[in-house]
Amino acid sequence: MDTSRSYLEPSSFSKKMAAAIIIVYAVVTLIPISWMVMTSFKNVDSAISYPPEVLFEPSLEGYVNLFTNRSRQSQEYLDSLPPPENWYEELVRSREMVITGPSKFLGRYSNSMIIGFGSTFASVFLGALAAYAFSRFRVPLKDDLLFFILSTRMFPPIAVAVPIFIMYRKLGLGDTHLGMIILYTVVNLSLAVWLLKGFMDEIPKEYEEAAMIDGYSRLQAFFKVVLPQAMTGIAATAIFCMIFSWNEYAFAVLLTQFNAQTAPPFIPTIIGEGGLDWPAIGAGTTLFLLPVMIFTIILRKHLLRGITFGAVRK
Amino acid sequence: MSVKKKFKGLSDKAVGWLFIGPTVLLLLAINIYPLVYAIKMSFTNFYANKIGREPQFVGLKNYIKVLNKEAIWEKMQVTASFMFWTLLLQAIIGLGLALLLNRKFKGNELLTTLIVLPMMLSPAVVGVFWTYLYNPQVGLFNYMVNFFYDLGSFDMIGSSTLAPWAIVIVDTWMWTPFTMLICLAGLRSVPNYLYEAAEVDRASKWQQFIYITLPSVLPFLLLALLFRGIENFKMFDMVVELTSGGPGSATELASINLKREAFEKWKTGYSSAFAVILFVTIFGFGNVYVKVMNKIKER
Repeated sequence: MDTSRSYLEPSSFSKKMAAAIIIVYAVVTLIPISWMVMTSFKNVDSAISYPPEVLFEPSLEGYVNLFTNRSRQSQEYLDSLPPPENWYEELVRSREMVITGPSKFLGRYSNSMIIGFGSTFASVFLGALAAYAFSRFRVPLKDDLLFFILSTRMFPPIAVAVPIFIMYRKLGLGDTHLGMIILYTVVNLSLAVWLLKGFMDEIPKEYEEAAMIDGYSRLQAFFKVVLPQAMTGIAATAIFCMIFSWNEYAFAVLLTQFNAQTAPPFIPTIIGEGGLDWPAIGAGTTLFLLPVMIFTIILRKHLLRGITFGAVRK
Repeated sequence: MSVKKKFKGLSDKAVGWLFIGPTVLLLLAINIYPLVYAIKMSFTNFYANKIGREPQFVGLKNYIKVLNKEAIWEKMQVTASFMFWTLLLQAIIGLGLALLLNRKFKGNELLTTLIVLPMMLSPAVVGVFWTYLYNPQVGLFNYMVNFFYDLGSFDMIGSSTLAPWAIVIVDTWMWTPFTMLICLAGLRSVPNYLYEAAEVDRASKWQQFIYITLPSVLPFLLLALLFRGIENFKMFDMVVELTSGGPGSATELASINLKREAFEKWKTGYSSAFAVILFVTIFGFGNVYVKVMNKIKER
């Protein structure tokens, strides 16, 4: 029996019960992700076997298929070829296919990187400037401006996508890296300003005032005193912006096609023979999700702040 | 000499404008200008794919068309029921998990981080891999359901009665950690002396929960639901990749319908009117909600 009456010191039995339920939930909630990672190491046949295979012979077929384009060939043609030069060619040949070239995945992945890093840098830089001003100066209509910045996040992306599409077509920014960097910078700005303002509020004003009395100008004090102090906050904000750009789909699918397409609209289009190539999709998903999972673990102390735009700080 | 002049370099006022200016200008150019442009287009019969054709002013015709279209109300209903079920489930499960995690057992930091993972993933990619889990022939989800309760063969995405639940399940799986984290912050903000005082007064555990825990965590829960409400009203990516609005239009949420009208049928004027209506709705509801939330907080 649970005889404790206290919230402050739960009995060890109730602690154990809570832990057990949480562990079960954590296991269940991680099944879909683990399943996708497992699928990436299956071969095409074992990915579509029923009942689903939990134990299987690991294979890199998914990763090979993800990075290559292949075409089916007759056995005679395959016999006439010189022996395969490396393991992945051998693997493809065992499926009666030959590699015809690299796939688009690497390009899409690096687009995600370029656009992600570019927009993150820009939004954190601009956000830090604005956040500092909001944190330290008497800005006219401060609350209205801050609310305006936040409200831009409420637009459904599709609602502004058509005008942006037309605008970008006129300016020649459609399907370009620069266009997407600008767009993601703007979307991330609201988050960057709100989060960084919270972090800057926590830095005592006295630091930069002391520096200014020592002869620093306001700008010097900002760059040499405040920014280094705010580094943790800046890093956390940057990771949040990066994750957003990395995951964004609606604008990417509507505004990019050949040149600047990122990974999220590309991964669903990985098609094998006779339907979707699940190990290859699994491989693409795994490579795509891996950085986010690592960042989440790094970020765990600041998660709450990030997801609530700084409204909840703990 | 004035006080400001005591430091060298630009005045604070100049620095302020210099620092805020770029952000405001960018938001005006890439956010407000497109919105104004959309509002302008919503009064015309513009088709973005027909270049060179002068759009004509049609007054409120597009708005009347949107509001009189029965299909639009169906989409709104789909959106409303999606929001209702996801918010309800996420509130209950999220709060439950937070209460359990608040018992500070060993390893709960690590478990929290693990539980949070789904919400950091790309919704579109999540949608893709759930189509695999939901696959009626080989899907793990179907296998596990049948393992515990034999339902035989069923198709979560292909059936118009099950598809709305398919998207509710994925959204709940993905975003319950969000309400959980925020509720947890609420629980940790309750000062200990409240419980100590209650214990002195011999309040039962249940009374402590109803009179102390619940009222303190409520504002946090409401805030979490506000964020989720706005996001799910705009929901697009995950559902597009999972069901693409189908079968038929069983899961065609407002945003998906908007995308079809705007980028497949290219009815720019009409879809802009719809976009403006959606925006006004979200903004209006958001404002009312925040007012109610603040009233509850004050109490």
